[in-house]
Amino acid sequence: MGAQTISLAQDGAAPSRGRFVNTGRGPTLQPVELGHARYVALVDADTAFWALVRREKLGAVLAGGPLLRAYRRKAAQFAEEMRALRFGLKPSAVYFNPTARCNLDCSYCYIPRTMRRSGPQMSSERLNEALQRLKDYFKTVVPKGRLPQIVFHGSEPLLNREAVFAGIERFRDDFRFGVQTNATLLDETAIEFLTSRGVGIGLSLDAHEAKIADRTRRTWAGRGVFDQVTRLMRRLRGYDGFNVICTVTTENVRHLSSIVEFFHANHVPVCMLNMVRCTLPPSRKVKPTDAVAAKHFTAALDRTYELYRRTGRKLVVANFANVLVSILAPTARRLMCDISPCGGGRCFFAIAPNGDLFPCSEFIGLPKFKGGNLFTDPIERVLSSRAFTLVTGRKVEDIEPCRRCAIRHFCGSPCPAEAHEMNGGMERTGAFCEFYEEQVRYALRLIADGKEAAYLWDGWDRHTQDTFDANML
Amino acid sequence: MKKEDRRKKTQKDVIASRKRCKAEGTGLSHYILMDKKAR
Repeated sequence: MGAQTISLAQDGAAPSRGRFVNTGRGPTLQPVELGHARYVALVDADTAFWALVRREKLGAVLAGGPLLRAYRRKAAQFAEEMRALRFGLKPSAVYFNPTARCNLDCSYCYIPRTMRRSGPQMSSERLNEALQRLKDYFKTVVPKGRLPQIVFHGSEPLLNREAVFAGIERFRDDFRFGVQTNATLLDETAIEFLTSRGVGIGLSLDAHEAKIADRTRRTWAGRGVFDQVTRLMRRLRGYDGFNVICTVTTENVRHLSSIVEFFHANHVPVCMLNMVRCTLPPSRKVKPTDAVAAKHFTAALDRTYELYRRTGRKLVVANFANVLVSILAPTARRLMCDISPCGGGRCFFAIAPNGDLFPCSEFIGLPKFKGGNLFTDPIERVLSSRAFTLVTGRKVEDIEPCRRCAIRHFCGSPCPAEAHEMNGGMERTGAFCEFYEEQVRYALRLIADGKEAAYLWDGWDRHTQDTFDANML
Repeated sequence: MKKEDRRKKTQKDVIASRKRCKAEGTGLSHYILMDKKAR
């Protein structure tokens, strides 16, 4: 037998020069059907690179030419961007539950009922101590000139209003603060306190009329709170840091278009239309199917576009805007639920009223995911605890069918709490796989039609740089 | 002419773009952190 004729690359990598798409070391570009009359997408799932190609040109583009040449030059840079986004960030926010109690008994809440009825409440001294410990920790990980964020969350944080407000006052120069509230305890004094200090205020409201909103959000006695919340919504009109979260369930999903109309009419600048989290069994009873959710969600997005064209004023649907940004500028995303690993335990973490630390508020009712306690354990050690690494180690590459899904980095297969509790493990998908598929397809169609800016908050790309532009090829 | 109208008119064969910035993503879907105007 003659000399060995098969050449092997010295670094052990495949010897292919990468001349062809989808073979050897060539770029992997998966076609994705958008439901658009003229365009289909090509996506490199690993780098989150995408291109929209006219249907009749797809074969020619895949065969080679300027797009592929330009992409080859950028692929390594895009891969590094995604690596840094997915694995290189440090925590810069805390979801802080100052009380386990709530004056409402919403049917889909992820905090167990027993905790909400009679759970612990953090004292003012303890809350200040907690904020001091967080301040000391963030000094070591957050770059100078940037403030870490504290979001008082619930249950209902204003049930512990004195302690919360004292903490905000004392640490007002050390954090950006926000409060997510059911609005029932937000009186004029509280509004004055929060708005004068630039604290973000998020209200929770699930519909445009009481008979729907009150189906899911009501007091322990069964009384709805729609009227109180809408009064507050009108009162906060014009405040920059004001927004509304609507949880989407079987009870309101068919009304999403009317709901965005109502929010827009009330000058809400930003809202979220969040699919109900299915972490705990009661919430699964009101989970809409993916197909129904996608149909009404995209109809509501269409409606926000019509409203913008008609009035010149946007209502940004933040959870969708974030998916759109994840396509246009992956590193500019704000919400870290739909990226893999998600932000839980690596970009933010949650603190319970007794100081226990969890990767995210979603896990507060699940003792297995307690990583330690703020008052007794160093935060760095908590971040590397088994409870946290279970979440931070959940990657789309380990999940079927995500590992072969072209849009896996526009979706992230949220949420780990749902995957674990509802679907049986961290290697399972979250609750709304097809819904995310439809959101991404919708987003790519908007880009094909040049409409994307109408769905994004003003100035979203203020600090970005262009790194790829097919117009320049 | 608006970007949308321009794009319709030109009907490009390929649309592709990407931007980047320093990653600062911190939010979860329980609260909106989209704007920084409040502070």
